[in-house]
Amino acid sequence: MNSVNKKIDWFPYLLLLPATIITLIIVAWPLVETIRLSFTNTSLSQTFEYVGIDNYVKMFEKKFPSVIARTFYWMAISVSLKMILGIIGAVLLNAAVPGRTLFRVLIMPPWVVPIAIGVFIWGWMYNGQFGMISGLAQRLGILSGPFEFLAYRNSAFMSTIVTDVWIGTPMVTVYLLAAMQSISPDLHEAAWTDGASRLYRFRRITMPLIMPAVATMSLLSAIWTFNSFDIIWILTEGGPRNATTTMIIDTYKTAISRFRYGEGSARAVMIVLFLSIFSAFYFLMVSKIAKKSTA
Amino acid sequence: MKNKLRLCVSALALMTTASAFSAEKIHMINCGDDTGKGIQLQNELIKQWEAENEGYTVEVEFVPWGQCQEKSTSLASAGNPPAISYMGSRTLKQLAKNDLIIPVDMTEEEQASYAAPILATITSDGKQWGLPRAFSTKALYYNKDLFKAAGLDPENPPKTWDEMYEAAKAIKEKTDSDGFGLAAASFDNTMHQFMNYVYTNGGEVINDKGEIVFNSENNVEALAFYGKMASVSQDGPIAYDRAKLRPLFSESRIGMFISGPWERSQIKEDINWGVTTIPVGPKGKPGTLLITDSLAVFKNSGVESQALSLAKLLTNSENQMAFELAEGYTPLRDLPEVKGLIDTDPTWKAFLDSIPTGGPEPFVTDYVGLQDAINEAVQSVVLEEVDAAEAVETAAETLEDYK
Repeated sequence: MNSVNKKIDWFPYLLLLPATIITLIIVAWPLVETIRLSFTNTSLSQTFEYVGIDNYVKMFEKKFPSVIARTFYWMAISVSLKMILGIIGAVLLNAAVPGRTLFRVLIMPPWVVPIAIGVFIWGWMYNGQFGMISGLAQRLGILSGPFEFLAYRNSAFMSTIVTDVWIGTPMVTVYLLAAMQSISPDLHEAAWTDGASRLYRFRRITMPLIMPAVATMSLLSAIWTFNSFDIIWILTEGGPRNATTTMIIDTYKTAISRFRYGEGSARAVMIVLFLSIFSAFYFLMVSKIAKKSTA
Repeated sequence: MKNKLRLCVSALALMTTASAFSAEKIHMINCGDDTGKGIQLQNELIKQWEAENEGYTVEVEFVPWGQCQEKSTSLASAGNPPAISYMGSRTLKQLAKNDLIIPVDMTEEEQASYAAPILATITSDGKQWGLPRAFSTKALYYNKDLFKAAGLDPENPPKTWDEMYEAAKAIKEKTDSDGFGLAAASFDNTMHQFMNYVYTNGGEVINDKGEIVFNSENNVEALAFYGKMASVSQDGPIAYDRAKLRPLFSESRIGMFISGPWERSQIKEDINWGVTTIPVGPKGKPGTLLITDSLAVFKNSGVESQALSLAKLLTNSENQMAFELAEGYTPLRDLPEVKGLIDTDPTWKAFLDSIPTGGPEPFVTDYVGLQDAINEAVQSVVLEEVDAAEAVETAAETLEDYK
């Protein structure tokens, strides 16, 4: 009887209402509109027809499967490198060396400098005629003449990854450093007293304890890297011969450069789908970690 | 009561005054920046037009070249078009087909003021869709000192493709510089550079009937030669669009490159350079790609007729000529002043001589698609991944969708 007579308290819902409305306007509506557009042949003119799944069929008939594969390949290499360098960086910055605060500050510029500026600087460094890398390699005798890093498929692909890693590593380092600092020094001291080497302590104490942070950061980094547009666009615009065209670049080229909004929307829907899977994994992992820590 | 009445009358007077001053805006998108000398002249003309057309103010927005056309087109397709925009004339057919721009209603006299190949760059279905604003032809710049150092005659620049290749090879082998500056980046001017070879070898992309005729022996030859030039050019042409070649030329890192008349004022002063018409291919005659950019008047801005009147003022014979001379563009109209140009500056000759036999930018319904298809063919041959015949055939098949 009590539950029937219980009054619903609307006040919390009222407080949530503005945020809900804003979310619906800036997230849900564009998403629904993109899905709707993906079933149309919308182009430059204001008129369009519904074409069913034609855009999706056309997308998979063309080069899109190779674009998907390239996106995952690019993401896998980039995220792996960021995680490896991030762990090494965090260990070094966690070491009790004099002036470590200064080192912690010095690692931040790639992340703090506006991305476009950082990428333009890398673009100049990759230049064969005037760039630092080619010039240095020639002086050291590694190259016999100028080499344009962005002009060839493999070197352009790797160059975009190097720049992405340069920008993304500080964030990973700082995140993992925070995780390492939360480990009680007692554990290391006890192991040290028992004669455990540095490597052993790292393998058996540090790594297991920062693993949840590593997993979380890997997933977050994968989402950001998958979505990375500005680095590739500024350096290569997806070239040469599509060697650096990832899903996000392909979507931009189709929808914005060529004004094929219907086909572009179908590509955007695919990106949303992949990112939703990543996000689902991320939330699953976060809730597992939360359960473990409360257990 | 009297006070209330006074207040109401004052408020009404204020509102009337405010509405009188709230002039209608004419949004004009201009590509590039506002540093050119021609832009100062344009600003003066805009002020003059505003004085003659009370109630209208012109708001000029400068957008970098890379995003300019994309921005205007996106705004128009979203239903919020600029009134006037500077557009590459190659985009006009696509914009017209999608009902985004209005025809510019040229009188017969206005049409007659342009040479036929120039009028062709803005005409589709018998109507003109833009008012030509900038015109460029291309020519071959060469470094006389590097020619001398390579044992070549600096007063006898190459006239054929073979001579150009041999000259570039000599420079590459006998000096520390590369023979030629080749552009092959994923950018519109890579297609433009290649079209110079198409037109100097008797080729075409789309004919008068609107048929794709890209797959021809002439074009295969042109593409194969473009690929061959890579061997005597700077490393990695795919990292270079045309604008990036000028610094190489200014530093004597390359012996030759093809570009427009604006380079004359921008090459470093200590470079001893010459300029000549683009060398001719085995199947062709002297030629060049004729590129015009136009002022397009967009539909549904609400100020179409005013925008058209402003665009016509800016591009009439007298004002356009002054703008071209200030900006260093090739003159659009064959006016008496043009003949005087060569007398005062002989370097104009290379840019003006090839106009009658030049060819327009292909006029298609998806210009970015066209550009991507041709650039893909160029890059595949420059990287030596595909042979010229196959690359031309693939591009021709793709182009069928865009005619």
